[in-house]
Amino acid sequence: MPSRPPGARGRSPWRGYVYVLPAFLVYVAFAVLPALHTAYLSLFEWDGVTLGEWVGLGNYQEILQDSVLRRSVFNALVLVVFFSFIPIALGLAMTGLLARYRRPGMGAYRFLFMLPQVIPLVAVGVTWRWLYGDDGLVNQSFRAVGLDGVTRAWLGDFGAALIAVGLVGTWVLSGLCMMLFLSGVQKVDPSLYEAARIDGAGPVREFVSVTLPHLRGELAVAMTVTTVAALASFDIVYVTTNGGPGEQTTVPGLLVYRLAFSEGKVGLAAALAVVLGLLILAIVYLINRLSRTET
Amino acid sequence: MKSTRRLPRRIAQAACALALVLPLAACDALTPGSAATVQGPRSVPSSTAVPEGDVTLRIQFADAPPMVDALIAAFEKGHPGISVEPQYKTFTDYVQNLKLTMTSDSAPDIAQYAVGMTDLAQDGHILDLAPYREAYGWDDAIPPVSLDQLTAGQQSAATGGRALFGVPAGLSMTGIYYNKELAKKAGIDGPPRTLAEFEDQLAAAKDADLTPLGVGGLDTGGLHLWAALLNQTMPTDDYWDWVNGSKDATVENKAGLTASELVVEWGRKGYYNESANGTAQIDSTAQFAQGDSVFLINGNWAAGQLATTMGDDVGFFPMPGEQAGDPTVASGFSVAYAVSSRTEHPEAAGAFLDFLTTPEAGQIISDNGFLPPNPEAVAKPEGVLADVAEGHRRAVDDGGITTFPDFAAPAMLDRLRSGVQKLIADRVEPADYLDSLQDEWEEHHAE
Repeated sequence: MPSRPPGARGRSPWRGYVYVLPAFLVYVAFAVLPALHTAYLSLFEWDGVTLGEWVGLGNYQEILQDSVLRRSVFNALVLVVFFSFIPIALGLAMTGLLARYRRPGMGAYRFLFMLPQVIPLVAVGVTWRWLYGDDGLVNQSFRAVGLDGVTRAWLGDFGAALIAVGLVGTWVLSGLCMMLFLSGVQKVDPSLYEAARIDGAGPVREFVSVTLPHLRGELAVAMTVTTVAALASFDIVYVTTNGGPGEQTTVPGLLVYRLAFSEGKVGLAAALAVVLGLLILAIVYLINRLSRTET
Repeated sequence: MKSTRRLPRRIAQAACALALVLPLAACDALTPGSAATVQGPRSVPSSTAVPEGDVTLRIQFADAPPMVDALIAAFEKGHPGISVEPQYKTFTDYVQNLKLTMTSDSAPDIAQYAVGMTDLAQDGHILDLAPYREAYGWDDAIPPVSLDQLTAGQQSAATGGRALFGVPAGLSMTGIYYNKELAKKAGIDGPPRTLAEFEDQLAAAKDADLTPLGVGGLDTGGLHLWAALLNQTMPTDDYWDWVNGSKDATVENKAGLTASELVVEWGRKGYYNESANGTAQIDSTAQFAQGDSVFLINGNWAAGQLATTMGDDVGFFPMPGEQAGDPTVASGFSVAYAVSSRTEHPEAAGAFLDFLTTPEAGQIISDNGFLPPNPEAVAKPEGVLADVAEGHRRAVDDGGITTFPDFAAPAMLDRLRSGVQKLIADRVEPADYLDSLQDEWEEHHAE
């Protein structure tokens, strides 16, 4: 640690805070206060216009009792599989295949896989709604290979809707994961691969022993980003199914929006947002803890 | 591990913040929102004299901009002193901001009537127009039934009769379209006279290997079907009581059960298009136009499109009643306009609303594809448009135009949409479905 100049000892901690102050103020004004305000609103029964009524933790109690709200949290957790686990698995597999040797045209691959990230999610949702439609590309493909029995309106099918929505997320996020992992692999010392090869490691062994351990940081980032995308998902669901059929694809984000803006239950919406926020924070904290052990 | 060591401190900070926030709850000044009722007039004056001098009215709306523009142009020609400034918003934006807009100091003078208006009327944010109804004689200009939709379930303090919170321009109505060629193929020779006869026709279409009924259940098609059936099984007054939130009204009864069971039964028998729940209403209409189904549930707003694509091959009838002599009852609503209680020019606003009831306005409304409130005053439509107009005339004569069921509560639309999807897919007991609707109803209308 570099030694401090003499005389600066007493005021240096405060000086640090002064440098942080502008950013801190902006952060407080635009992130902390709104969050606290949301938490405060969650203690009221309020329609957004007329005088609110103090209900304490009543809204939270309602969340625990409401079967639709509980169902929405379950759906969000199912989406984690499609938004997080599968994209990460696919990303790792692709990285394992692509990272070992330099291949021509990597830039083009990266561009292609990054593409879903560049398109607005609403446009993605609308496009997939067409693809999943009665006469959409998905059904046409099944019919083309003689699987007429499988075809259905995927987004309107009670069994298939959530999976169909989840696969849209998989499509969007797989490229992001792969990009993260590929860039992570590039900072691995090539001599490690050489050493592994000299020791007789095959591609699988090399991946497990060299690539994977070095990707821990990227894995943590990928898991955080994708899990948050799943739990806070709104746009894709809103555009494709609007929560239907029944409550098969209803997610908390959609309910927050609906409760606050079309049903006039701002307090309940705020309470649900707080619960959702805490759930996300808890899971992100867990991911970060797990990725830090063994260092 | 630096950040984990700091965690207890963060918790302490969070606890401090919470401790700071909680006592604030006791402070009234921080309670969100403002006191419910507004001071000032709750109804329009009874005088219809339009003030001298230049007046500008602002009108905010979400439906049919070309129609509104044409109406304004025609109105301004007859009233040189009054200019009307249209403010268009998309429907979703409009509905979501309606309460904020109408309770703000910058509320427009005239605003399109929408779901939240009932609450706004209760709190006095929009004016009771009942005095104008008498003074202008609107009951003679247009069928009273279309005005009676706009009472918000209230009595008028000014006249003692029914209150009135809007004046309709274009009207709408749901019903069944049928493909004449496919119907002939299935041995169906004309519109059914009873519900049972309609069921026979659906069965005949099924036997002919055709898709009997197209439903766009992804958005609102399913709830139109359910409401159309409920309109036949439930006495119209009881239905009105329920939508208006009258005390002790309910759909958890035999009528509600019969209608819901029919939706399930038709699903079991395979009467719907296979992917009803995944098809939007607009898509189900396009599929019907291509000849994918014999019948289609939709509203008059689809008639223009179907007339263009199918010509004479398409017809329309309102859902028939249980008995041959039953009144024609169908759900529908109007593009109607309310007057803000913050307006400085209630007389000028009244003159504009009165203009909507004139034959000239009726023709503009009809030209823009809506049903005019005063059908006798406009040129006779042809083809399927004539069927729709005739169906509407019958329903109006029978006092049988009811509002859509989602007007019962702000959250009802979602309950209905997802609930009917479950009925169609046979995923819910009809009694449980009705129970979920009634829960929502009771929550909203609880005192």
